Amino acid sequence: MAPSGGGYVLRKVGWALVTVLVVITFNFLLFRVLPGDPAKAGGKDPRLNPATAAALTERFGLDKQVFLDLDGGNPLDTQYFAYLGALARGDLGESYVFRDRNVVDLLGEALVNTLWLVLPSQAMSIVLGVMLGLVAAWKRRTGVDVAALAFSLFMWSLPTFFLGIILLFVGANWFDLPTSGRVTIGGVAGAWWDNLWDIGRHLLLPTLTLTLVLLGEYMLIMRSSVLEVFSEDYILTARAKGLSTYRIIRDHALRNAMLPLVTLIALNLAFTVSGAIQVEAVFSWPGLGSLTVDAVDQRDYPVLQGAFLLIAVAVVLANLLADLVYGWLDPRVAGA
Amino acid sequence: MAATSQLIPAAPSALAARGRFGSAFLRNRVGMAGAVMIVIAAIVAVTAPFVAPYDPYERVTVTIDDIYQAPSAAHPLGTDDGGGDVLSKLIYGARVSLVVGFVAAFISLIVGGTIGLLAGYFGGRLGALLMRFTDFFLVIPDLALLIVIVAVLRDRSLFNLILVIGLLGWTTTARLVRSQVLSLRERKFVTRARAIGAGDPYIIRHHILPLALPLMLANTVLVISLAILAESTLAFIGLGDPTVISWGQMLNFAFGRGAVSANAWWALLPPGLAIVWVVLGTTLLGTAMEEALNPRLRRHHLETEERPGGSRASLLPGFAAAAAGADAPVLSVRDLTIEFDSPAGPLRAVDGVSFDLRRGETLGLVGESGCGKTTTALGLLRLLPPGGHVVGGSVLYDGRDLMTMESDELRAVRWSGLSIVFQGAMNALNPVRNVGDQISEAILLHQPEISRRDAARRTRALLARVGITASRAGEYPHTFSGGMRQRAMIALALACNPDVVIADEPTTALDVMIQAQILELLASLSREFGMGTILVTHDLGVVAQVCSRVVVMYGGRVAEQGDVRTIFAEPSHPYTQALLGAFPNVGDADRALRAIPGSPPRLDALPTGCRFTPRCPYAFERCPAEIPELYVVDGDHRAACFLLAPAAGIGSGTPTNGGRGSDA
Repeated sequence: MAPSGGGYVLRKVGWALVTVLVVITFNFLLFRVLPGDPAKAGGKDPRLNPATAAALTERFGLDKQVFLDLDGGNPLDTQYFAYLGALARGDLGESYVFRDRNVVDLLGEALVNTLWLVLPSQAMSIVLGVMLGLVAAWKRRTGVDVAALAFSLFMWSLPTFFLGIILLFVGANWFDLPTSGRVTIGGVAGAWWDNLWDIGRHLLLPTLTLTLVLLGEYMLIMRSSVLEVFSEDYILTARAKGLSTYRIIRDHALRNAMLPLVTLIALNLAFTVSGAIQVEAVFSWPGLGSLTVDAVDQRDYPVLQGAFLLIAVAVVLANLLADLVYGWLDPRVAGA
Repeated sequence: MAATSQLIPAAPSALAARGRFGSAFLRNRVGMAGAVMIVIAAIVAVTAPFVAPYDPYERVTVTIDDIYQAPSAAHPLGTDDGGGDVLSKLIYGARVSLVVGFVAAFISLIVGGTIGLLAGYFGGRLGALLMRFTDFFLVIPDLALLIVIVAVLRDRSLFNLILVIGLLGWTTTARLVRSQVLSLRERKFVTRARAIGAGDPYIIRHHILPLALPLMLANTVLVISLAILAESTLAFIGLGDPTVISWGQMLNFAFGRGAVSANAWWALLPPGLAIVWVVLGTTLLGTAMEEALNPRLRRHHLETEERPGGSRASLLPGFAAAAAGADAPVLSVRDLTIEFDSPAGPLRAVDGVSFDLRRGETLGLVGESGCGKTTTALGLLRLLPPGGHVVGGSVLYDGRDLMTMESDELRAVRWSGLSIVFQGAMNALNPVRNVGDQISEAILLHQPEISRRDAARRTRALLARVGITASRAGEYPHTFSGGMRQRAMIALALACNPDVVIADEPTTALDVMIQAQILELLASLSREFGMGTILVTHDLGVVAQVCSRVVVMYGGRVAEQGDVRTIFAEPSHPYTQALLGAFPNVGDADRALRAIPGSPPRLDALPTGCRFTPRCPYAFERCPAEIPELYVVDGDHRAACFLLAPAAGIGSGTPTNGGRGSDA
């Protein structure tokens, strides 16, 4: 059905790979060449003994050229290629702060926690946002639409961390909900469902915050997407055919409106990440966001560098996925 | 008769018009509210030293008792974790937010504007490269990037923060400017300027920038809100400039230092709400500006359908009798009147239009653009765009009035009784569903007893009938050429064996060869299926080729109607004569073409009396004073011109006798 669909997929995958390479290079440069050079700063860090500092120099090849060695010798024997080599081996170094913990393990744990928070929020906000956006667009300029718009605009203007603080304040002082971390410290005595219940209670406020923030955004996106579709001529054709409003929406508008939504949700992942970082900071949720913020506080550069790389690559890959889904949904794209 | 039908429904439609206008006004008011919110914040920021009760930068010694004091006369918003006055800090914080927002947005505007302009104007490799660059930044999560960059910065001064926020905020501006410039670049005045040798810098400065600037500014207002949010988030995370008091920093300190457990809401709510205030203000203003500048979202084909109320069908005594004859018309339009809402009140686009359509007949609905032809066509099936209302008249089909039908009854008649071939089928077919599927959908909807397989078979037969290989039924519209799409649209229109097909300029966008094919096809199908066809067109050649009868419209009214030979041979209305005079005639090559001076009236400035008066060479004192009725010229041939009025006496019949060559 999609004759040159393979070309489309190949192009998208190629672009994603290029982007990942640019992210890696950018990440390398930022931490090596900018004034706050972390490897050097790490080497001078009083927390490190001279042996560790020497090991660092050895490890990052700080005595070598940055990109290409043009003074004879192996031109690829440089800091950049040393970094790429380490990456290829899945070696992101060790944390300066948590001794003996390698960055990959730390990131893995944090990523799992972040997904616990982000996936339910993302799913709920997309479902609710699509429904509300559809209704708002359909009932344009009525009370429903105005209320939905006002809600979205307000959510948009509300900094995520501030919404988190408000919910935390209310939850802690009035509902006696836990306000920080993933589990009650010291654990809960009892069966596994007590533990699950404990995690659920910890998840409630952060998830609610993130859902509300994302919901406003998705609703706005869906509303304008549906409005655009409603203005298309084929909707007039569908009406002229005698289809009911319900069937027009179901069979002609929804799929077309979901198309841009797929891309926009993917583009919006940056927004999701930003929301998650803030929510984690407020609720001390031990995910990637908290890890990033703590790494900044403690100047734990290997962790910071690794976290940024993971976040950026994850978003690039999610975007790729969205592009592929789009190509599958829209017959015009794959052929183009 | 016309007067009564005008009076009854006028009131509700005017009310509706006021409602819609109200919502437009409301949107402006929303933008105004945003502007006022920003101005208030700016005034507070500028006058901070005078309005703040304390100087928050002054070092004072505090005791444990000064911390988190509840609001009091001395401290209207209480004190914070360091014993400082919350209100004073709040007032000074406005300075930071606004400076960051405006300066960073300005940087974004310059960077994004330049990149977008270059990418859009020069296109090619440079443009592609720049857009790739933009895409890259669009994908990277901005807050994560901000945190990483700021973490690496040696000096977290406000200036550096502004620079970083500004340099990261340009992506949306670049995309927007690029698409604006891309569309402007191909406009006539730009190509013309280039043709006369204007240089690129000149064209950009004089032709592109002035037009792109309004949307750029609206976008910049939105970027301000983003920058303010970014700064406060950084400050809350503890990455702000530690030496200046900002709202994010107030929240960071209060939240990090026990305001929640101290129940000190006053240390948390005010700075948060202050951020909401400025962000909401800029967002409202920016959104209102964008919406005012972007006309894209005006159309809406799904707004709740309304049924023009009233009992107008019974207004016409002679009507039922006419409908009962052996040669009964399949569609009878009587006094159809359509209005559009506008801020200045309802505008009458179609005024008292009446005609009959018989089986097997092709009726041409002709006139210049803006004469109400398409509006009439859409009005017949109550498919008017938002803001359009049928305010009077009736459309009798199969003994029932389409204008007063319940909506489920109307849905049943649509397509099975009357179908439409839309103007420009480029977008009339759904791009994400295959063509055959869209035809079967109509069959299955109106004849649920037919099996899917039979519907598919019939779809293939229909496509074959219009000259499309049946095997292409499974393909999507974008793989069809313009002519094929139009033919597919005709196949779709015939799907349910309708009694009436309305073809609204079905060949406008097609080349002449295809045009002829499609018209021939329509006419032969019309005879074959015994349908009545209404052909809306401005092309008299088309009318001569396929129509049997003609209704000439001018200014929303019927100017003349009759059978096609009579109209072409003896046009009685001066407008018809002028139309024919402006139309090249192969048989009479010596005749000079004469354009009609002037243009059709605008709906908001309709002339009184006969609407053709200002352009009519025969106009006399009665024309602007009274509305002419359709006078019988001969049998079925009627024209709305006082020159034909029996009582007119003088000059009666002059234009008729003069024929189309009336040089008088």
